Amino acid sequence: MTSISREWLVRKTLMVTAMVVVVGLALVVFFMVKESLPAFRKAGPANLFSATWNPREGRYGMLVFLVGTLTTTAGGLLLGTPLALSLALFLTQVAPRRSRGLFSRAVEVLAGVPSIVLGWLGFTMLVPWIRSVTGSSGSGILAASIILAVMVVPTITAISRDALEAVPSSYAQASLALGATRWQTIFRVILPAARHGILAAVILGMGRAVGETMAVAMVIGPASVFPTSLTSPTHTLTTKILMEMGESTGVQRSSLFAMGLVLLFLAMALVVLVRRVSKARRYEGWVE
Amino acid sequence: MATREKVGVSTEVRPKLREETPSPKERGKRRSGQFLADRAATVVIWAFALLALALVALVLGVILWNGLSTALTPSFVFGKPQAMREGGGIWPMVVSSFYLAALTLLLVIPLGVGAAIYMSEFAGEGRVARLVRFGADSLSAVPSVVFGIFGMVVFVIYLGLGYSLLAGALTLTLLNLPTVMRSAEEAVKSVPKSYREAALAMGCTRWETVKKVVLPVAMPGITTGAILSAGRIVGESAAVIYTVGLFVRKVPWSPFQPAAPMAANIWHMYTEGALVPDWFRVASGEAAFLLIVVLVLNLLARLAASVVRRKTGYRT
Repeated sequence: MTSISREWLVRKTLMVTAMVVVVGLALVVFFMVKESLPAFRKAGPANLFSATWNPREGRYGMLVFLVGTLTTTAGGLLLGTPLALSLALFLTQVAPRRSRGLFSRAVEVLAGVPSIVLGWLGFTMLVPWIRSVTGSSGSGILAASIILAVMVVPTITAISRDALEAVPSSYAQASLALGATRWQTIFRVILPAARHGILAAVILGMGRAVGETMAVAMVIGPASVFPTSLTSPTHTLTTKILMEMGESTGVQRSSLFAMGLVLLFLAMALVVLVRRVSKARRYEGWVE
Repeated sequence: MATREKVGVSTEVRPKLREETPSPKERGKRRSGQFLADRAATVVIWAFALLALALVALVLGVILWNGLSTALTPSFVFGKPQAMREGGGIWPMVVSSFYLAALTLLLVIPLGVGAAIYMSEFAGEGRVARLVRFGADSLSAVPSVVFGIFGMVVFVIYLGLGYSLLAGALTLTLLNLPTVMRSAEEAVKSVPKSYREAALAMGCTRWETVKKVVLPVAMPGITTGAILSAGRIVGESAAVIYTVGLFVRKVPWSPFQPAAPMAANIWHMYTEGALVPDWFRVASGEAAFLLIVVLVLNLLARLAASVVRRKTGYRT
């Protein structure tokens, strides 16, 4: 009897620990909504999603920052995805066995570099370099995109590598046996077979880029206007929250939480998308 | 044939039937074209891979080149920070970083391992399991700055903890829980089924099986995951800035005191640097020291698994 009730107790305790993630997520969503309500009530959605940020005159538009987030993310993916994908192909198809360890170790090291350290690197090296080449201020979308590309490479490489490794080797063997070259095999057989996994990898990389704060904050601006070029200062949602949360009150503070809420929705949408993609992948029939 | 249709790629692979066979000369041309394309692709893939390697070397090289000599000076690492004078150290920040990591691990490991055991040993595929899976996936996608302002509202203000190590540890617990949980779950799942069956056949209950068989065998994997998350905690700044603090003069001793982990302090040097004359030297040294700490932790994570494995004597 005692052993049965202890089993029950243990089971319930473990369930409680598992439910912490669910409760935590609910709390995060709840408090983001609660704290941003004043902004929606007093300023209104039309004001919040306008393009002018000027708290002194009661303008709390976040459009500039939303555009900043989307453009830097797109830039980071545009630069990072080809690199990551080639790296994943290299690690799974091309690399000689001996150098494989070195390259995959290097990717792991890059994944471990703290974002503030990458930001510091961007601030001390990348921004001055862009400044000297283009003659502009140096910080902006271009610098942020390059830093984000470095940040998404480990994520995209690791996940698309898994996807490429999951393609049964009989596919490649069949293709090679038919006389296809290695590139034909990669391009016509392996990449199409792994496409859902690669898509999931890119979406997860996108999530990382959307949420990145410190590294972008050190190379993006600061300015609360639309950028006029790739090298003029602006802001993203995350960097705006970071910069202003400390010294804002009232509706301004609440509108920063509204930006947090938008970020939260973006992140959740990407999660739903990844789950869709991996479900499609499971139905493809050969994974597991 | 049915399985072939399922594959979904076979249609693209199937060679097109030609109406007339090309002449041998034509065939040779095509073939050499394909070989050229193959060569070119190989060269491009190699070039990109080498570029990535160079990028990693550049990142490590520049950070260490700028800061290593500072970071290896004892008076810098163990010295007191200065506000208006040059020559300040970072000892309180070093302590803060490790204190915060220890406190967070103390909270996140029991929760993460418990959740992992529940998910792999008890939950099955029911509604609870699906809910937890969704919660973990979503939580791991939430940007760290959102965790930061959440922690500020809930732990710093509502719970009245103020800027403190504890408020930061609670925030980082939530941030790291999904990853700790995932790595622990992988470790637990890698324990062969036959081990569990043997224990159950000997009359062990489910919990006894977990405690005496599954956990010891999974311990190397769990240790690796824990040390890796320590590296992530030490490097985290966006979630820490509004929960723990940016700058302290004295070494924090209580979890209820404000502190300044290195990662947050670099941000402080970047924004308020004018207060410290040699802020650039301090931030560079701190960045290099932080990078070394994280790299050492990642190395340790790899070593720890084999040490623990040798100690427990289990093999998986």
